[in-house]
Amino acid sequence: MKCSKCGNPKVIIKREQSGQLLCKDCFIESIEKKVIKTVRKEKLLDKGDKVLVALSGGKDSVTTLEILNSFREMNVIDICAVTVDEGIDNYRQDGVDIAVRHAKRLGIEHKVVSLKEEYGITLDEIMQRENHKGSCSYCGVFRRTVINKAAREMGATKIATGHNLDDEVQAIMMNYLEGNMDNLTKLGAKTESKAEEFTVKIKPLREIPEREIGIYVVAKELEVHFDSCPYAMQSFRGEISEVINQLAEKHPTIKYSTLRGYDKIKGILKNELVKDYAHGRCEKCGEPSSNRLCKACSFLEELGCD
Amino acid sequence: MSFTLKYKDINEEREISSDNYTIKDLLNELEVSAQTMVSKQNGELVIEDTVINDGDEIQLVQIIYGG
Repeated sequence: MKCSKCGNPKVIIKREQSGQLLCKDCFIESIEKKVIKTVRKEKLLDKGDKVLVALSGGKDSVTTLEILNSFREMNVIDICAVTVDEGIDNYRQDGVDIAVRHAKRLGIEHKVVSLKEEYGITLDEIMQRENHKGSCSYCGVFRRTVINKAAREMGATKIATGHNLDDEVQAIMMNYLEGNMDNLTKLGAKTESKAEEFTVKIKPLREIPEREIGIYVVAKELEVHFDSCPYAMQSFRGEISEVINQLAEKHPTIKYSTLRGYDKIKGILKNELVKDYAHGRCEKCGEPSSNRLCKACSFLEELGCD
Repeated sequence: MSFTLKYKDINEEREISSDNYTIKDLLNELEVSAQTMVSKQNGELVIEDTVINDGDEIQLVQIIYGG
């Protein structure tokens, strides 16, 4: 067995979707080229952008930071990063420490925001409350709010997240199967909100399979936090992921074709389905919201943290 | 004929149980999905079809976690 590109016998990956065999150097180069191609094709970056990387310290966000940093080295963009400390004992601190070390290594502006400091409560404390709505609901909403706020405070023009091919395909299938057409129209490489307080979000890793990101960080010897969130449970996303991965065993190109198909119909969906957004404000925090309170403030009110 | 396995808290000597015993065979024995793992043979990344040799150190790294 030899690398399909350079003939090196030290092959580290066999891509089932193409039959391609790659050595370490050719694999690393192929991932970086693919991400750069996505950035160019989808016009994710503009010269002079300040990109805030949502940096958890996990493989996806560290890879996003590492590859976007090549644009920073070419003086195309500036980069800063934010890490959200949700307050999960025996889990989050390792990721936070790794994120701090990467920011220091690259010399980028970085801040860690804890839910405790921001809202006076940790995710662990929320989960001890009776009648909580499930960890992922709070975590998703609070994280999004903290990241949007950090983007404004740090003067960022874009927010980059580490969503990979598997994440995106799961989201397409979940929203379709649940009939959630509103959310279905919001997916894509670049999501823009009509409210100008929300910074444009970009997903540079959208066409890279999750497994290849894992191999990339190991091949590049990047320090990442490989661990499972203690609150991860049997979710609908987990079930969808299992079905897609089962299908991918016999149909290795299925994740790409699902993504391509979605990209083709997205424009039509948006034209037909996107509602005119209410341009309201949360009366408590001033964040954009179509209701009296934004989701984060409404959760805080329920939790008695206001 | 044996090799050393390093995986999470495991650090043990294991017998090579058959001819052409591959990392894929090892993953099957451990009942872990090859899709969630990367494998190193004597410190270098390898694919799962790699045959394990006498004296090898095989390290398995879980790269995909649920949730």
